[in-house]
Amino acid sequence: MPVFDFFHWDKDRGYTLAETGAILQVTVGIPPALEQFCLKSGVPIPAPVAGYALIDTGASASAVHEQVFADFGVQPIDHIPMSTPHTKDKFSFVYPAKIQFPGLNLVGDGTYRVVGCELKWTTFDNKEIIMLMGRDLLKYFLMVYNGVQSDVTLSY
Amino acid sequence: MPLEKELAFFEAKKSELLKTHAGKFALIHEEEFVDAFDTAENAYDAGVAKFGKAAFLVKKISDEPEVYRNQAFVLGLMNARI
Repeated sequence: MPVFDFFHWDKDRGYTLAETGAILQVTVGIPPALEQFCLKSGVPIPAPVAGYALIDTGASASAVHEQVFADFGVQPIDHIPMSTPHTKDKFSFVYPAKIQFPGLNLVGDGTYRVVGCELKWTTFDNKEIIMLMGRDLLKYFLMVYNGVQSDVTLSY
Repeated sequence: MPLEKELAFFEAKKSELLKTHAGKFALIHEEEFVDAFDTAENAYDAGVAKFGKAAFLVKKISDEPEVYRNQAFVLGLMNARI
């Protein structure tokens, strides 16, 4: 059971977990099936986008900045409602994506369903958040959020 | 809107699909039900093999619609919009 530790610290600010939230590196790419299709068709494969995922236990599913898919030329595969009172009658598109977490040594070739949203923002040290890691992925992990030590531990 | 035809077709055929393929993922292109698959990933792979980069729908055949819930968005805690 590999264990990965993410210490949130900055040389000027000290502990930063409370400020940034629990974040880890992520890359978002086009699904493997689409990669194969592009290869066979002689179409260039767009490079994966690297950024950070914010661990979000309040989210039922993972979400990715929607512009990423527009840039990839990846079409949505579903359209689902949101349940919140403030967003009544709103829907979001669902996209297929290859999600990899380099810091977790997770480089599988699966296709994930993620919700598209307007998400991109940066932390104080210019780390770009491009994804919310929701409970659909967190269900595979043991997580320890150590607010006192500004540290998050993930294991699977 | 993308997938408009496919979503309308799915809604029209939903009760029929529930009887035969409940719990599976439907692959729908325009107004054609292609097949049902055990996983969304299998349905997507089949969709790409058949339709390439064109739009197609991969929808869970269920009485309970898949809903995206995010408490941080509800509470306004997060600087993001859907």
